[in-house]
Amino acid sequence: MSLERKDEHDHGAWLAEKDLSLIEKSYLTMLIWLDRRLRLVDYLELLEDMYYKINLQMPKSHTEQYNLDNKFWYWYPLYALGSFSLLAYIVAAISGALLGFYYSPSTAGETPVAYQTVEAIMADLNFGFMLRSIHRWSAQVMVAAVFLHMLRVYFTGAYKEPREVNWLLGVVLLALTVLFGYTGYLLPWNQLAFWAGQIGVEMAISVPIVGEWAANLLFGGLSLGQPTLQRMYILHVFVLPFVVTALIALHIGIVWMQGIAEPH
Amino acid sequence: MTDTDTDANNDVRTDGSGTGIVAPDDEVPTWSERKERTTGLSRLTYEYFERARREDQDLRQESSYVERDVLGFPAWPHETIRNLALASFFVGMLLFLAALLPPTIEDPANPSETPSVILPDWYLYWSFGLLHLESLNPELALAGGEKIMSDQLYGVLANGVVFGAIAVLPFLNKGSARRPVEEPFWASIGVGGVIFAFTLSLLPIEAMFPWDVHITFDMAFFLPVIGAIITYAVLKTMREGYMYNLNKRYYRLRPPR
Repeated sequence: MSLERKDEHDHGAWLAEKDLSLIEKSYLTMLIWLDRRLRLVDYLELLEDMYYKINLQMPKSHTEQYNLDNKFWYWYPLYALGSFSLLAYIVAAISGALLGFYYSPSTAGETPVAYQTVEAIMADLNFGFMLRSIHRWSAQVMVAAVFLHMLRVYFTGAYKEPREVNWLLGVVLLALTVLFGYTGYLLPWNQLAFWAGQIGVEMAISVPIVGEWAANLLFGGLSLGQPTLQRMYILHVFVLPFVVTALIALHIGIVWMQGIAEPH
Repeated sequence: MTDTDTDANNDVRTDGSGTGIVAPDDEVPTWSERKERTTGLSRLTYEYFERARREDQDLRQESSYVERDVLGFPAWPHETIRNLALASFFVGMLLFLAALLPPTIEDPANPSETPSVILPDWYLYWSFGLLHLESLNPELALAGGEKIMSDQLYGVLANGVVFGAIAVLPFLNKGSARRPVEEPFWASIGVGGVIFAFTLSLLPIEAMFPWDVHITFDMAFFLPVIGAIITYAVLKTMREGYMYNLNKRYYRLRPPR
């Protein structure tokens, strides 16, 4: 026996000293060969970790533990509003992606092309009326659920001390949800869209110094037209989905880390 | 076959053909040693985290908190299937709503034809109402006899004030109270805010009401206050009963004089 330390990682020697059947031997040889190149062990560890995480048990909730159900049952539906707004957001995202195939953001023509495409979706496209209805209603429900979610968080004091960051994030998400809705209902370019857009432009212009710059940036000019619709479209289908999805993930991640604030 | 492979890999090769992973020798500092050697902000961060971890551990050992057995349902399959069922139910309700109340599409945009009532979508009514507060905008004849601030800018700033007030909330209201009964003041502020959002929504369409325009405007500010006062009174009354229940034992156990 030499003084040199035994090589723990000499898989060949380890394999040689074992008495293995042909199948076992070829399997191990293959595994070692692959592992040397792809470090399979790391992924197996991840899988194992995931297995245990999936089989974790949820702890008893505060209300279950202290048997408060008789007192607080009336809060329970209000605790679903956050999940409900997330569900509505997912439904809106899917139906919106489908609508995007048929919509075109253009104000050209006597009747604007954008308006015509929305009409065509509702009149000519199979299931199109339902599709637009789903998109519209999920958006409305999401906004309503987000507002009510905020009220629930307010009245149950769930914004208090360790959760200030998530409340601030929620305020940002509330504003972005409303902006999402605003850019969305401008897209059909009907009377509601046009005059609501007019309100927006006038609000932007009324701000001193940066107002006209802001109006140009957001609405593509000081009066409404093709650039306005173009920008609202890009905001609605390209910018806001990524920003809002990321922030929602962060919002829910923080709730996951800190735990749901239940009434005490 | 495997023997030759492993032998070849034992030699250090610098031609880039190996795994690229170099095992650390004894002189390479460990991660904690590296951390300890750092200076300045990163050193402070490291020290703080070490202290915080220590504090956490000490607290956990001191406290009487006992890790209890978990008595809930497992995440898979129970929780997952329950959540999927709830999610399907809500999505189903959403589709039902969409099928029951189909949307309409009005006339195409027409810059030359102003509608009789201009409104945004319903969730912006409160914000649009804030733009109609021009009678609160003071006329100060400093800037050539004109208002210092245009009415529209005043409304835009009011929007900012509302969002700012909501944002600073957790920095104003501290403590561990969770129920409206425990803090009647904050609950009444909340109820007043909700009523204010509704009364503000009436301002843009005040011309449609059969009564005088000023009445709507006054109501927009009085109703929230009235609602807040009623909430405060109700919660204060409830609070007495609530506190009585909590303290009942204490009062009963008081020795008689």
